[in-house]
Amino acid sequence: MPLTIGKIAGLAQVSADTLRYYERERLIAPAAKSAGGYRLYERDALRRIRFIKQAQQCGFTLSEIRALLALRGNNAACCRDVRRIALEKKLQLEAKIKAMKVMSKALTHLIDECSADGRPLDDCPILAALERANGVKRTGR
Amino acid sequence: MKIELFYTPGCRKCVDASDGLKAAAQELIPGVLWRELNALDELDYAVEVGVVTLPAIAIDGELVFSSLPTCRRFRRELTKRIAKAGEHAA
Repeated sequence: MPLTIGKIAGLAQVSADTLRYYERERLIAPAAKSAGGYRLYERDALRRIRFIKQAQQCGFTLSEIRALLALRGNNAACCRDVRRIALEKKLQLEAKIKAMKVMSKALTHLIDECSADGRPLDDCPILAALERANGVKRTGR
Repeated sequence: MKIELFYTPGCRKCVDASDGLKAAAQELIPGVLWRELNALDELDYAVEVGVVTLPAIAIDGELVFSSLPTCRRFRRELTKRIAKAGEHAA
């Protein structure tokens, strides 16, 4: 029995707006529309929505998920194709982690410079350092 | 010169192309250091070099090709680098 957008959204634990967004992004499409124009989904769509959610949690963008879904439906593709995409995503995530660690370390230095006393903001070493980094000289407020 | 090919295991495209590229590198640069690195085993190094797509080629630790080049393009890049190295040496 076909499921309405509200019903399938509830089962997949996403909002109906999310499903409409997925539809605009060509990730999912209703199997049919009712006489009243309401979207109707087959039960299989639930599996697809869960796949999309899980892939998003792994850091895949919607366009990458679209590619993964296309791959899933491609008989000529095989597991190693998916593995390559997963490995590329891991490389991207590791690169982001590395950049964030550098940022975190920079913040640690800035935090160490600040004694957290009651000095006015014009004397705040963190703000001053951030402005120095932008090549701006503090002139006071 | 050191040339590193980052690949994902089971990539037939990488295997097919690497022989031709390696031969080109060895022909143009006698004594070239050619390495083939499994990106999964060398993940930290791959990230350090900036590899985010596979296969990829780094030359002297610099990511130069984020996908496999044609043999012609690869030779052109190597020739350019050889000329540059020659200018520095002169």
